[in-house]
Amino acid sequence: MPQPDYPAMKTVVVICKDIVLTNAIDRSLKGSCQSVVFSNMPSALDYIYNSIPNLIVINILKDDPFSINILNDFKNDPMFHQIPVLAILPEHFNLSHWDSLMIEDYIWKQDFEKDFILRANLCMMRSERIVEINPLTRLPGNISINRELQERIVRNENFAFGYADLDSFKPFNDRYGFGRGDEVIKITGRLILNIVKSKQPQGSFVGHVGGDDFVFIIDAGLSEEAAAEIIKAFDSIIPTFYDAGDFAQGFIKSFDRKGKASTFPVMSISIGIVETRARLFSHYGEIVQLAAEMKKFAKQFQGSCFKSDRRIGEEIKEQSRKKK
Amino acid sequence: MSNIDQKLLRHKVENINTLPTVPTVLKRLSAIIEKPRITMVEISNFISNDPALTSKVLKMVNSAIYGFPGRISSVSHATMLLGLNVIKGLLLGVSVFELMQKTMNGLYEHSLACAVVSRTIAQKKGLKDPEEVSVAGLLHDIGKVVLMLEFQKEYEAAMKEAQTKRISIFEAEQNQFGATHAHVGSWLAEKWRFPRNLIEVMEFHHRPALAKNAPLETAIVHLADILVRARGCGFAGENLVPAVHPAAFELIALAEADIKDVLKEMENNMEAAEDLS
Repeated sequence: MPQPDYPAMKTVVVICKDIVLTNAIDRSLKGSCQSVVFSNMPSALDYIYNSIPNLIVINILKDDPFSINILNDFKNDPMFHQIPVLAILPEHFNLSHWDSLMIEDYIWKQDFEKDFILRANLCMMRSERIVEINPLTRLPGNISINRELQERIVRNENFAFGYADLDSFKPFNDRYGFGRGDEVIKITGRLILNIVKSKQPQGSFVGHVGGDDFVFIIDAGLSEEAAAEIIKAFDSIIPTFYDAGDFAQGFIKSFDRKGKASTFPVMSISIGIVETRARLFSHYGEIVQLAAEMKKFAKQFQGSCFKSDRRIGEEIKEQSRKKK
Repeated sequence: MSNIDQKLLRHKVENINTLPTVPTVLKRLSAIIEKPRITMVEISNFISNDPALTSKVLKMVNSAIYGFPGRISSVSHATMLLGLNVIKGLLLGVSVFELMQKTMNGLYEHSLACAVVSRTIAQKKGLKDPEEVSVAGLLHDIGKVVLMLEFQKEYEAAMKEAQTKRISIFEAEQNQFGATHAHVGSWLAEKWRFPRNLIEVMEFHHRPALAKNAPLETAIVHLADILVRARGCGFAGENLVPAVHPAAFELIALAEADIKDVLKEMENNMEAAEDLS
């Protein structure tokens, strides 16, 4: 698995011909960000495509529609839409419509000293906050999940990582339509979020991988309590989403992944849990993989349940005992 | 005959955004909000003892914002789905109805007792979610709160008419407004996208035979309403005890011992509620 690119310092691409201004920008960013300067947009593109900076600062000139067009085309690509652009506008710059200048924020050149560094930091922070939110649940997605995990690994934190998904979700979706399936996804996200946040208001995290897969990060000692509560809440609320007759008989008739007609039990939730104190991780992928294995294990049991990874913890205890 | 235009009445009802509670609840509310580490169970128990708070929470969780309208009819589910922060925010916006305090307090007590009795009967009947029936019992009369809030004078006239003519408040409302609290409550519940079964109980708790989707739940709240009146618990607008609908009684089919248990449960709970206030 490729090592993630998490440079300690943020990268800011500066597009500016004006040497005095470039120096001022460099000075302001020094210490907190690494700046890479280009004199125009075309020469910067190659670098931007390959390194995905945290921010682009562009000094807009009065009579340069060419650069603005390139910037707009660049921002129109969904791959790069996310990168925030802060424009430095010249005095008396005339802008009829924001559609003709695709930027996230601006400052006036004459206010540079006063505003630049604050705006630059705000721009970067805002774009981090809104990284890929799942449209159904409004929960953060994979990029944020990986970042949250990696940051904790780098800080050497002790934490637990839970990976949850629903059992018999697909037949439910087929039986009642994706509208009702979406409702179930939404309530699942809300339940996990609120239970995790009520156990640990600060420093916990809930993400939506996609489909019916959710993850959470919580202090190590709280993971099993949280999982047990999520299961209890899910099991109590899920009957609401079945037609009364189906729930009364305890199953629905639908089709499996191969298209074969079959009966399926009422949905349940399976959770796999991994704790970092059990062993050393260096990469988020390792935790995700282990948690996915635990979830798979949990899915082998009928109904809702959680399974914590204990194998490694016991091995370690065993080893330390032997050493004594 | 009523001199209130029906369209106007409905329009006024549907424009209501929140229902007021009684002063004792408001007093306990601030203690709840300020408590630093309150659990979802605690806060949900507190909410499910008040019709105004319960309706507020159900309105929020069934709104389009969350994307599952008409699904949630239990307070504990609503609390888990909204989360502590949203719930606390909602509770901050609760107001008190300053007028008709005695009637409001009486109605509050009646509703609370009705919730307890409905839940107990639902448990005895082995219903899958007794809490939903309890919520229906708690909210069955919110139409009365709405009418008092919007038409205080007319409602006082209706109560007076019920008293002097010795008719039910249901009939007196029909005379005064051309509609009853059952209509009014169900209009609001519909507007707030409450689940269909809950709306049905609110609409038909005086005429349980009309319930199509939730006949048993409706019959339970119908019976609970009358049992609570018969026990003289709280005040529902007049002092008559109407007859139980025979079909509803048969549908529930409680033994005499069961009814005794139910009444006992009600008294225990009402004592506990008084201790709190």
